[in-house]
Amino acid sequence: MGRLYAIEVIYRGIFQKQLATRITRSIVLAAHEEGKLGISFGRYGDSPERNGIPAKGFAIVADDQLTLEEGMAKYEPKEVDVTIAVDDTLCKGVESWAWYGLQPVNKLLKPGGTLLVTSREQPETILQMAHRKETPYNLAILKGTVSFSGLWVYKDDHTDVRILGAIAKILPGLFTLKSVQKTIVDQWNDSVKAESAARAYERISSVAVRPDQGNPETPYKFNFPKWHEMGEGIAIPSIPAGKAIEDPTTHESGGFRPDRNPTFKKYTTRTMRPVVNFDTCIKCTLCWLQCPDSCFDVTPEGLYDANMQACCGCGVCEAVCPVKDCVTMVNETAFEDNASQWEAWRKDKKGYEAWLADKIKSRPERSHGFRYRGQYEEQVPEMLEVARKG
Amino acid sequence: MATYIQIDPTQKLDPFKSVKKLPLEEYFTSGHRTCQGCESALVMKMMAKAAGPRSIILGSTGCMYVANTTYYSTSWVVPWMHTQLGSSGSAALGTSAALKVLMRKGKIKNEPINVIAFCGDGGGADMGVGAISATLTHAEYNSLILMYDNESYANTDIQLSGSTPWGANTTFSSPGKVKRIMHRRWKKNMAGMMAAGHPECKYVATICMSYGLHGMNSIRKALAIGGPTFIHSLDPCPKGWDYDPYLSHEMGELAVNSGVWPLYEVENGLLRLTGRTEQIAAGKIRRVPVRDYLLKQGRFAHFTNDDIDYFQSKIDDMWEKWLIPGVIPFRRDVEADTPPSS
Repeated sequence: MGRLYAIEVIYRGIFQKQLATRITRSIVLAAHEEGKLGISFGRYGDSPERNGIPAKGFAIVADDQLTLEEGMAKYEPKEVDVTIAVDDTLCKGVESWAWYGLQPVNKLLKPGGTLLVTSREQPETILQMAHRKETPYNLAILKGTVSFSGLWVYKDDHTDVRILGAIAKILPGLFTLKSVQKTIVDQWNDSVKAESAARAYERISSVAVRPDQGNPETPYKFNFPKWHEMGEGIAIPSIPAGKAIEDPTTHESGGFRPDRNPTFKKYTTRTMRPVVNFDTCIKCTLCWLQCPDSCFDVTPEGLYDANMQACCGCGVCEAVCPVKDCVTMVNETAFEDNASQWEAWRKDKKGYEAWLADKIKSRPERSHGFRYRGQYEEQVPEMLEVARKG
Repeated sequence: MATYIQIDPTQKLDPFKSVKKLPLEEYFTSGHRTCQGCESALVMKMMAKAAGPRSIILGSTGCMYVANTTYYSTSWVVPWMHTQLGSSGSAALGTSAALKVLMRKGKIKNEPINVIAFCGDGGGADMGVGAISATLTHAEYNSLILMYDNESYANTDIQLSGSTPWGANTTFSSPGKVKRIMHRRWKKNMAGMMAAGHPECKYVATICMSYGLHGMNSIRKALAIGGPTFIHSLDPCPKGWDYDPYLSHEMGELAVNSGVWPLYEVENGLLRLTGRTEQIAAGKIRRVPVRDYLLKQGRFAHFTNDDIDYFQSKIDDMWEKWLIPGVIPFRRDVEADTPPSS
């Protein structure tokens, strides 16, 4: 049996679908240049994709036919040489819209494998998010703005070719930079892209991650229900109604917190989250009413607390809020937990004010998609500039 | 004849007075797997809130089935059942009839229970239109069919449906280098068709949940009036319309304010324009240019100025030349249709 190479790309559904497909496909084409065989595919359970919900694509490459077939006969590989997270907030974990619970981003990495992340953050920030792993691995950061676009669009910001260049360095046995460049020119006839790949090849470096480094939390789990537990007619229990909330300071109860689906949380679905200034809230109800994910709990005094179990970070609450800077969307990388903001505010208003001001400061523009015609084209030069410097 | 038809009592569902008076309880809750900014999920939430706890919801295949109830998982608090793609009408009628029989036989408590069947535009306007039509002729069965319309087969990654507007990019109508406009049909007029063709149906309405209170009160009216009813909801879809999810609410407002999506209700044969549409028709507010609506959506990113003007002219026709503006596309004169060359 020959050597089997497996690479996974973890990406945001729809927003990065074209990007992920281009990466996995090009990996196989570049390996083919060196006489290897391969296949690229998306994980079946992630399709049809949903905006922002984590999904996976794979490239499987082998020296010979038999090894490739052995590697392919799986729903997803058991272990991979390189995990590529094309959005840094995915380091909080991968909860596909199919049915897995929350998987750590580095779960499939072989001992000594490499996690390659597209990010503008430092390794420390990434390691605060990524769960601890029993075996050591390497972390490499490809400096750049995270590339998002729509269902049919690939925003041509060179993220794809830069990742290919970086892989040639990280996994030298798979293919050489020369093969990567040939694949790039064959596919897109663009020598500037080939240069971008070479620059990434030269600059990419990685840090070793020890088992005691990373997010110590246990990833969110639930008990998988059994087929024989289903009721007659394949019936399952509905979600219980909900109940009032208790105030952490006065212990009075009031308001309402809906019960939520225990098997699907949105801890890893968002790239941004809302922070709420409760002092300026006018209780207009709009964030609560217009939230498609029913993520707002109603507090005893009639305020609205975004519950991080359920928020998928769409930003509609910020858009509908009539008060300036009452609801603000903040980059998900700025948060380490999913605690209630309202409870923190109730316990310590001054402290909360300072926390809020600090969070709002780290509020980089993070475009989810198409806002107006010409926007994708406008974003590309700046992204290329960041990539050139990185 | 009317004495043959026995309409069972319905729940008393008075209109919600204001957003501050809304019940806090949710009957469709978090933990579904829809896209960021999914307006159809919002329709489900508000529909369940408007209907209240004594309701049975039936869902035909589509995003709101696949994404909300995957594997052994649900977001519903009230009873929900899946039904096949084209059969939301049949499911509504059958469930309503079954409840009637069970109550008559004393197998369950005799009380009014809301029966709501929802379907997408693919399941409703394309495949299920026959079954919906049949249900709307059965005056003695109380039910509501709610069609959530995101203007494509969004669940399976945006294929063209009978509800897709002219020129839109879908997986089946990608603009090419030689031909720019690959979809040359106009959207099917479902609500108008249902209202005009079903004398036994007491209530038909169009809604958009960017105007949530209006939408919820339409649903309450439809459930309280008795007999079969139909509501058509326009749901902006960030995935298929290709826009940033935070624009979902605004996109619905733009659809209504540009006149692309007229809000109206037909109650016992009486047509009434409602909400913002009523104000537009009365000349109190002006329609915003369709351009503002189109250029925020990636599915129209390939439009030239001629395409936008043509789209605008079709919307102007709808308001100026239709015999019943915004509702039924009958005209007095035959006019040439001159779409831009692609």
